[in-house]
Amino acid sequence: MSNNSNVKFRFNNSELWGGLIGLGLGLFVIRSGLKLKLGTINDPGSGYVLFYTGILMCLFAASIIIASLSEGGPTFGSRWENARWTKPLIVIASLTAFAFSLDTFGFLLSSIPLMVLLLRLIDPVRWSLAIPIAVIAPLGMWWILKRLLLIQLPSGIFEIG
Amino acid sequence: MDTIINVAHGFGIALLPVNLVYCFIGVFIGTLVGVLPGIGPISAMSLLLPVTLSGTPESGIIMMAGIYYGSMYGGSTTSILVNIPGEAASVVTCIDGHQMAKQGRAGPALGISAFGSFIAGTFALIALMLVAPSLASVAIAFGPADYFSLMALGLVVLTFLTQGSMAKALLMACIGIVLGLIGLDSITAQPRLTFGRIELIDGIGLVPVVMGLFGVAEVLLNTEQIIKRDIINAKITQLFPSKEDWKASTGPVARGTVLGFFLGILPGGGAVISSFASYALEKRLSKTPERFGNGAIEGVAGPEAANNAAAGGAFIPLMTLGIPPNVVMALLLGAFVIHGLQPGPLLITQNPGLFWGIVASMYIGNVMLLVLNLPMIGMWVQLLKLPYNILFPLIVLFTIIGVYCSSNNVFDVYVMIAFGVIGYFMRKLGYEPAPLVLAFVLGPMLENNLRKSLILSQGDLMTFVTRPISATCLALAVVLLVGPLLPSLRKKRELVALDEGV
Repeated sequence: MSNNSNVKFRFNNSELWGGLIGLGLGLFVIRSGLKLKLGTINDPGSGYVLFYTGILMCLFAASIIIASLSEGGPTFGSRWENARWTKPLIVIASLTAFAFSLDTFGFLLSSIPLMVLLLRLIDPVRWSLAIPIAVIAPLGMWWILKRLLLIQLPSGIFEIG
Repeated sequence: MDTIINVAHGFGIALLPVNLVYCFIGVFIGTLVGVLPGIGPISAMSLLLPVTLSGTPESGIIMMAGIYYGSMYGGSTTSILVNIPGEAASVVTCIDGHQMAKQGRAGPALGISAFGSFIAGTFALIALMLVAPSLASVAIAFGPADYFSLMALGLVVLTFLTQGSMAKALLMACIGIVLGLIGLDSITAQPRLTFGRIELIDGIGLVPVVMGLFGVAEVLLNTEQIIKRDIINAKITQLFPSKEDWKASTGPVARGTVLGFFLGILPGGGAVISSFASYALEKRLSKTPERFGNGAIEGVAGPEAANNAAAGGAFIPLMTLGIPPNVVMALLLGAFVIHGLQPGPLLITQNPGLFWGIVASMYIGNVMLLVLNLPMIGMWVQLLKLPYNILFPLIVLFTIIGVYCSSNNVFDVYVMIAFGVIGYFMRKLGYEPAPLVLAFVLGPMLENNLRKSLILSQGDLMTFVTRPISATCLALAVVLLVGPLLPSLRKKRELVALDEGV
């Protein structure tokens, strides 16, 4: 990472945002702990550990924020410098689409397109190899699980699988 | 005499055909994931955790343990031949191992790595057999305050050893504790952080969290770069090290074994730190330290012995105290819990067959690994040529199936994908997932012991400092927490910082 990518009082300082997210989570945990009741020191309640863990989270997050403001930190852009950032984005989008379709369309109808996408979009595998792998791998796993291990995978509204 | 009888009993169990098959599957998969960069023992173990349900507890745990120590063997092959560590504990082996391979000495490097690993693994097992029962009898006297402090120390050590900012690692550990507390409170049965979702009443599963943070996130990170491999294509000959090689390696193997074993026992320590420590020690003791980095066999022998001895040593806190010292052991704890077993001081007396069976199987597994790693080296070299653009989609598919099978619940697949994305961004922003996972496992135990000790002592916080074990653990934890503020200790921490707390 180049030195000129280190910024202090800038909004794209990634360290600052990491700390702020941590602080937000810490405050949420404190609030959850309080809502669950702290109890007393000789009879701690359900929220006791959550509350104090939340305080610790806020302290650590605050120290990250202070360090990011005083020492600076890398920008978001520099974190992805020389990286093919579109590739993980494609995988995340494919997995999200898969998650939404899994219950509705079932394992086989969702995983075959997922495999085609991953095989073709990360570092493209030629079609003549991608299609057989995308079909055989999920089908083979489905067969092993259903026939040999008697595990039912989601079959979706079309009840395929 | 008792130990000999117990070991014989253990071999009786480990040599059952079904257990031999599970042991072989474990060490084979372990070597496989060790050889393949991008997949570590954590991913493989979490993927196979649901498979352990189908057999007896012995079979399942024998297989899981096999994956762990098998990956230590396999990792060195990739380090030596490709200069990419197969898993975190083999990072150091790259330095001199690959140099040896470039000089046409890949055979002796692979050989000393396998023999060193075998010797260290065997020593660790013997030590485990001798130390574990005695420690278990002492551990019965541990109270909730001792357990709380010991777990707190484990978390602090891991955060201390994690790469990058300690504040980030501690924040991760806190988030892990909070995630571990999701679900019903074990004392009051009150739902916590469930957001009205019935799927969260039992808490978040370990498998989707680990598969997401380590499996999916790893694939996402790897897709960012084009992985180039500089595989040594020359025919590998002379796998048995020469007399001179043995002479140079005997000391490093012996020192690495002892060092690795003790570092493996320490909470938060493990195979990675021990391999780095062994390399540093050998370089310091060497009369010709300038050879290190240029193909010194001592730089392969010591770290390889150390990481295998550490893998054996790490079983001690889990088996005797019920406390996993690292993420891999946390997964093994998950395997015990799935079978309704609780590792701890009573495990050896209540389930001697299980304990001694596992120990004996590890010895058999070490012998299997020697056979798998030397005569079959050609097969692993071929495997290194498997293209990643085919491998990564398959890993994604296996993780999805593995997570679904662990609970038969689509919700867990969503959790895994979510943690995969979170894990990817965490790594990009310099937040390591290992403290989060260990804290996730320890969180409920930590809370339970804290609340128990406060109730028993009627709210007297002095209970944590009046008990010697608890006081020692807390004092060490404080030293490690305050330490990085001192410049000299901060430098030392940076030197030993790890990629993954395994």
